[in-house]
Amino acid sequence: MTTTTYRAGAFLEAAGRLGVPVVVGSDQPQILAAANPGGTMAVDFLAPNEGARSIVEFSKEHQIRAVLAADDDGVILAAVASTALGLPHNSVKAVTAARNKHRMREMLAQAGILSPCFQRIPIDANPEEAAREVSFPCVLKPLSLAGSRGVIRADNAAEFAAAFCRVVAILRQPEVAAQAGELSQHILVEGFIPGREVALEGLLSDGRLRVLALFDKPDPLDGPFFEETIYVTPSRLPAPVQEGITARTAEALKALSLRHGPIHAELRVNDQGPWIIEIAPRSIGGLCSRALRFGDGISLEELILRHALGLDVECFERENQASGVMMIPIPQAGILREVQGQAGAEGVPGIEEVRLTIPVGQELIPPPEGARYLGFIFARGEAPEQVEATLREPHRRLTFIITPPDDIKVSGHAGVSARTHARDTEKARSIRPRPRLPVGGSRRS
Amino acid sequence: MLTISDPAKKKILALLEAQGRQGSALRVAIIGRGPGGFLYDLLFVEGTTKAPEDVVVDAGGFQVFIDRDSAPKLNGATLDFIEGIQQSGFKIDNPNPLWDDPKAKAVQDVIDTKINPAIAMHGGYVTLLDVKGDIAYVALGGGCQGCGMANVTLKQGIEVIIREAVPEIRQVIDTTDHAGGTNPYYQPSKGGGPSPFA
Repeated sequence: MTTTTYRAGAFLEAAGRLGVPVVVGSDQPQILAAANPGGTMAVDFLAPNEGARSIVEFSKEHQIRAVLAADDDGVILAAVASTALGLPHNSVKAVTAARNKHRMREMLAQAGILSPCFQRIPIDANPEEAAREVSFPCVLKPLSLAGSRGVIRADNAAEFAAAFCRVVAILRQPEVAAQAGELSQHILVEGFIPGREVALEGLLSDGRLRVLALFDKPDPLDGPFFEETIYVTPSRLPAPVQEGITARTAEALKALSLRHGPIHAELRVNDQGPWIIEIAPRSIGGLCSRALRFGDGISLEELILRHALGLDVECFERENQASGVMMIPIPQAGILREVQGQAGAEGVPGIEEVRLTIPVGQELIPPPEGARYLGFIFARGEAPEQVEATLREPHRRLTFIITPPDDIKVSGHAGVSARTHARDTEKARSIRPRPRLPVGGSRRS
Repeated sequence: MLTISDPAKKKILALLEAQGRQGSALRVAIIGRGPGGFLYDLLFVEGTTKAPEDVVVDAGGFQVFIDRDSAPKLNGATLDFIEGIQQSGFKIDNPNPLWDDPKAKAVQDVIDTKINPAIAMHGGYVTLLDVKGDIAYVALGGGCQGCGMANVTLKQGIEVIIREAVPEIRQVIDTTDHAGGTNPYYQPSKGGGPSPFA
């Protein structure tokens, strides 16, 4: 897992429940690594062969029963390491293909799976000329970024040219270029697929797909950007449509040769049937897995760990209650100054948690350039329509005070690092309303 | 009991006068423990707020109220006021140990000598809140609060170090409000890191 993951806690908690020792491989050394040499290791996700060699070396002194990637960034490394260790896993070829949206489209099309027209365009192409080769409406996508980052719809040549330049700018950001490697040199352009969008969470065992949950996405995702909002399960689509979605996903997985472990697929459904939008050899990201509970309350992460360790998972069905999550969208660019109404939002009946994940004082970057949400709202209820309505209410009660980024300069904080500034804010917020005298202390023990 | 130094007395009297609160008392309380020792609260209060069990110190010109729980931990301490270019403010020099329980004291010692110096490199710190039975309750602050790697630091680092040094401790529980973190060292991000969604 990368050091920026949302999911370290969920996976470590799951491992703790199972009594399984864990070694956390992360892209940077852990601060207390020296105290527990068998507990953590630094691995380079951008150099999977090298990272896998480190894992194999580590396995000479510590038994490794499974190698799991918490998020997208680690899936290729996990596949390479598992192959080297002879552990059950997807093949490196399949995982590598799934991480490349153009290659994925090619393989799905070759397998005869319903696919939009698509083409790959170099980032140094002339956008006006490229627009002449494109059918509209279309969607421009980076080949490897996730979370709708850099995904833009264009309905005509002018919109295409503007979107193209915008995606190129994202791909040329140093951290994106480093992460995406050669995949940052092209943009995927594919036909826009109208329809209702769903997300399928599944688990593969020897090529057999088990659907863990099918989420409806009730808010329309028609662009120009594709920021997610609400996921609700179980799906309200008719049973035959749901069966078609499962069948289409299974076909796509077979076409990509994905056979083992968690998968997350996004599809659109219209009169022509279900279309694969994305499919990834990992589980649902962010904090969204909290919307899923199985058996007597075990988490998705525990289910994945059980599966990876060869333990029984078939007996764990998703809970009977409907469940959902709202990813709180960023309303505008700027600096988050204050969040109002959180207590009221958390008090809405049926709401389990309102978790804000961007700290006050930090910059908010909306899509398509941005890569984060303001937070997550979780709800459970008897029926999916009830959960959907419940999720919307706390969002209405929340007010985000956002000021333009330029305010930092105006307020005289220029030259003061963001870290220092945030600490000042923290101190200021901790002051109580009644007059108190500041005091320091010293002790002798 | 608590001694008020002359500079502190002078400053408090000046503040009382400036705020028009002559006759008010000063309430001193220990409200917790932090990386630098006890955490204190100083507050001007009306004389009518004195609780029967409060310890009262006559500082000459004003009274000091100390609640029953704080009093033993302030025995022998001195409230001072320092004024300088680098630092100004009230300061309490307290000779009392942070913990009476030897187990808690041992855990505190490990935190002070091994853990906090290391995680300070990420702007973080650990505060021991309590030890009950074989469980140590801690809070993570600074760069650790809200950090995506906080659980890893806790389970693969802090807990391992504490258990090794104090074998009577079997578990370390993090009680931090990570959602309230304003400056986490590693932050969840779909950009350079993982994806919350496909």
